[in-house]
Amino acid sequence: MNGHFRAFSFVDQITGLRPGISIEGRYLIPPEVNTFPSSLVAEAVGQLAAWGAMAAVDFLRRPVAGIAGMIELLAPALPGQVLELRADLESVDIEAVAYSGSAHMNGASVVRLRDCVGPMVPVADFDDPQALRDRFSLLSAAGAMPGGFEGLPNLGLQPNGGEKGRCARTCLSVPIAVPFFADHFPRRPVFPGTLLMHANIETAENLASQVPLPNGAEWRTERLSDLKLRTFIAPGETVEIEAKWIEQSEHGLSVTVESRIARRLVSSAEIHFVPEVDS
Amino acid sequence: MNDINISKNEILALFPKVAETVADAVGCETEKVKLESSLIEDLGAESIDFVDIVFRLQRLFKVKIPHGKIVEQARGSLSEAEFEKAGVVSEAGVTRLRTFLSEVPPERFKLPLKVADIPRLFTVETFCKLVIRQQRATAATATPQAA
Repeated sequence: MNGHFRAFSFVDQITGLRPGISIEGRYLIPPEVNTFPSSLVAEAVGQLAAWGAMAAVDFLRRPVAGIAGMIELLAPALPGQVLELRADLESVDIEAVAYSGSAHMNGASVVRLRDCVGPMVPVADFDDPQALRDRFSLLSAAGAMPGGFEGLPNLGLQPNGGEKGRCARTCLSVPIAVPFFADHFPRRPVFPGTLLMHANIETAENLASQVPLPNGAEWRTERLSDLKLRTFIAPGETVEIEAKWIEQSEHGLSVTVESRIARRLVSSAEIHFVPEVDS
Repeated sequence: MNDINISKNEILALFPKVAETVADAVGCETEKVKLESSLIEDLGAESIDFVDIVFRLQRLFKVKIPHGKIVEQARGSLSEAEFEKAGVVSEAGVTRLRTFLSEVPPERFKLPLKVADIPRLFTVETFCKLVIRQQRATAATATPQAA
């Protein structure tokens, strides 16, 4: 089956729209998937914002991942649960969309995004504008059949050295033949920025696990800030990720993460951890 | 758009906050950011950094900055056809740009100048002036002058 609007689409229905101002929707996390990481919840919010932004410019431009001032990871999202999504568009025009957003599950916040900016690019370079208009109509009416996402494939993140407790490095070999490229995007496959964020979090968590905490506490990933994606990542590229310790206090641990392709910086972010005792 | 009325004092008053914003966006020390620093050549800014700077300034100063329209603003009363031909800035366009970007040293206007290369000319002062213009525009909209 064609993976378009299935393999990497995380909005089943648009339940509310104030054109150019806000948009609400929902997504059922397929019960069959093993996990649904927070990065994909952030993707769902970003996709909802993208629908609102594309509709505002008659599907001539679409946003791509760019900047996230803050992404708070508040609770895990569980397979089989429905995410209630919302995005508030601060501004949208043919150059960029600025928005904040959130995802709730059973009334509780799961992920919150603030000060996000997505540069707008010509839709036709990435997708069929008419197919997007038709999909938007479907989502805005009865909604789409849930369940197209089959789970994350192995992203091939390999440890790549470091210095215990100070720096952790990994190497991400972006796969070539994975279903999500049929959806992201049909005319130009691009490795989703949120999957790079997922790899960034894993690398930072690897580093955090090497920083000892007293009394059996463990570091919990609390938020990402100043996340910036600088370029598109194509299938088959190799991304080197480095997480570095910045500072630590009784309240938390801060780590910077940079991703590079052939030495060129492709993304940067700060990731913050808080100590948590497993109850 | 007349820049003669933007005084150096106004620019200097705004500079510390703009410098901090630029430094945060491009990921460098604030001390490295000078009024005359070229965003691309001195600070290594890329296109996403320009977007970032504009939105940070917009939020910080609570003004609507016409991102992506800086060039359009620079064009002033010139039509697009008068300003550029086939992606290259015309002589009249360069004259107009030299006025609009009066903070840019003349030797940095390398001719022929492509429209796509105009952002290479932008300095930190360019963004200070941008904010001042937008603050004035916002104030003018909020308090219409009495007839």
